[in-house]
Amino acid sequence: MYLPEPIVNLIDGFQRLPGIGAKTAQRLAFTILKMDDEDVADFAQALIQVKRDLKICTVCQNISDQDICDICQDKSRDTSIICVIQETKDLIAMERTREFNGLYHVLGGAISPIEGIGPEQLKIPSLLERLSDEKVKELILATNPNMEGEATAMYLSRLVKPFGIKVTRIAHGLPVGGDLEYADEVTLTKALEGRREV
Amino acid sequence: MHVTSLQLQQFRNIPELDLSCPEDLHLFVGANAQGKTNLLESLYMISLGKSHRARSLQECIRFGEQTAMIRTRTEARSKKNRLELKLLPKGRKIKKNGLEVAKLSQYIGTLPVVLFAPEDLQLVKGGPQVRRKFLDVEIGQISPAYVHHLTQLKNLLKERNQLLKNLSKNNTFPLTFLDVLDEQLIELSVSIWRKRIESLARLQEWAEEIHLSITKGEERLRIEYIPSVPIHAQMSEQDMKHVMLKSLEKVRKKEIILGNTLLGPHRDDFSLQQNKLDYHTFGSQGQQRTAALSLKLAELQLVKEAKGNFPVLLLDDVLSELDDSRKTHLLESIRGRVQTFVTATGLDGIDLQTQKQAVVYHVKNGHVTRA
Ligand SMILES: Nc1ncnc2c1ncn2[C@@H]1O[C@H](COP(=O)(O)OP(=O)(O)O)[C@@H](O)[C@H]1O
Ligand SMILES: [Mg+2]
Ligand SMILES: [Zn+2]
Repeated sequence: MYLPEPIVNLIDGFQRLPGIGAKTAQRLAFTILKMDDEDVADFAQALIQVKRDLKICTVCQNISDQDICDICQDKSRDTSIICVIQETKDLIAMERTREFNGLYHVLGGAISPIEGIGPEQLKIPSLLERLSDEKVKELILATNPNMEGEATAMYLSRLVKPFGIKVTRIAHGLPVGGDLEYADEVTLTKALEGRREV
Repeated sequence: MHVTSLQLQQFRNIPELDLSCPEDLHLFVGANAQGKTNLLESLYMISLGKSHRARSLQECIRFGEQTAMIRTRTEARSKKNRLELKLLPKGRKIKKNGLEVAKLSQYIGTLPVVLFAPEDLQLVKGGPQVRRKFLDVEIGQISPAYVHHLTQLKNLLKERNQLLKNLSKNNTFPLTFLDVLDEQLIELSVSIWRKRIESLARLQEWAEEIHLSITKGEERLRIEYIPSVPIHAQMSEQDMKHVMLKSLEKVRKKEIILGNTLLGPHRDDFSLQQNKLDYHTFGSQGQQRTAALSLKLAELQLVKEAKGNFPVLLLDDVLSELDDSRKTHLLESIRGRVQTFVTATGLDGIDLQTQKQAVVYHVKNGHVTRA
């Protein structure tokens, strides 16, 4: 099908986003065509600004508009606990719970030789630096509950052993509100492994 | 377990099929290359999410088409399911009762099948990978956790092999990470071993009995698991882990040089023997065929024992290969109990009683018609 170059470029742009195939990209591009000029300008501006103005927190590697993010600057937070997560979106999920009042450390992924991601490619050196700071008493490992996330957590726990800090791993298993009857065998097994005394 | 209907669209050389098949025995007759195996393959695929013979799923999409579809209705006791597998230009989509299934481990076992085809002789004659695949398919159908562990092992081995290759090139990866992957490998290996050893023991009991009966008491079939690490059935999990850890330590240097994981369930095997003689080396072609048949019939029993229902049996072109006594034994043991889909190039060699009980179809150039 023939399409003028500007719209082809726009379709290509959308298609680079996760979960968007050729058809959806086309639909989005034509939606943009129909939008008001002003709205399109705002949208384009937002895209440029997000890359230009957003920084990475020098302490926890969270995204921020300052050198040090709001969470790290917040005096009311407990600086003796650091929760290690893979991605910023995990931080957002944790924050939504409003249950955690410590600090974070965003690794930027999980160790995976296949993906070419070693400890060096992740924000592990900066984590160790933070741990040398005497204030930290507990490290919560909240990497994903898959093989790579698990391996990364195991690696970190070996690595920080010399620091003598308490290291914990978040439990995973049954979703709350789910019926035991409908949980699959794999999830149930995991939940059993993570059981605790009450 | 019964497949009560089968619908196909653009599957291999079958453009369209709509079959109502609640009966026990179905016999598909046709010349070579008409689509008989394709039909059984579709049932195997909707059961296990993959083909027994295709290297890629897309191979099964009819030439010149973009997608293919398999739909079945199944019934076991009064429990009914609607299953759907759509083959896409990339990947596949599986639905159970209209809901998309994300993980194969949540799906496999819904419609257990056992396929018996001439190439199953390779179970006895062939290499270890044929027997491992048999074990994995068979145990997978009765244990979702096993399927999950196998998937994890596959991913772990990819990571570990890559790591070993990196280490051999003095890449900056820390050796501690290999310790971590070893810990994961040990953990997974032990759960897979436990399941395999346990299932083989049950399989052995059934197979021995069946084999004695087919050979009229002459041959006592033994099945023995051959692990790549010196573990055995009576060991505790703790001991197995310890043995594997020690074994991994011993081969570490070699593994790094070769860039390959040398120990684990992916390197194991089992043997079929009689009086300590391996059928693989000492059996005649006839004996090997009987051993393979016994194993398959034992598989039927194992699934029945674990799931409460017999699986659906797919017999591809095997009746012509079996002599009368083995054929009789096979047909006797399934009659009225196991829903069976049989293919054959002709009706001769199939006894009249079976012919009378079966729904007979003709298969020609991808079209199936009831006789
Ligand atoms: N993707 C495909 N599209 C169309 N035809 C196919 C496809 N794959 C295989 N075939 C055809 O299917 C036939 C083989 O069918 P098969 O079921 O194996 O035969 P048989 O009846 O001997 O068991 C061959 O003619 C082959 O060309
Ligand atoms: Mg065939
Ligand atoms: Zn911060």
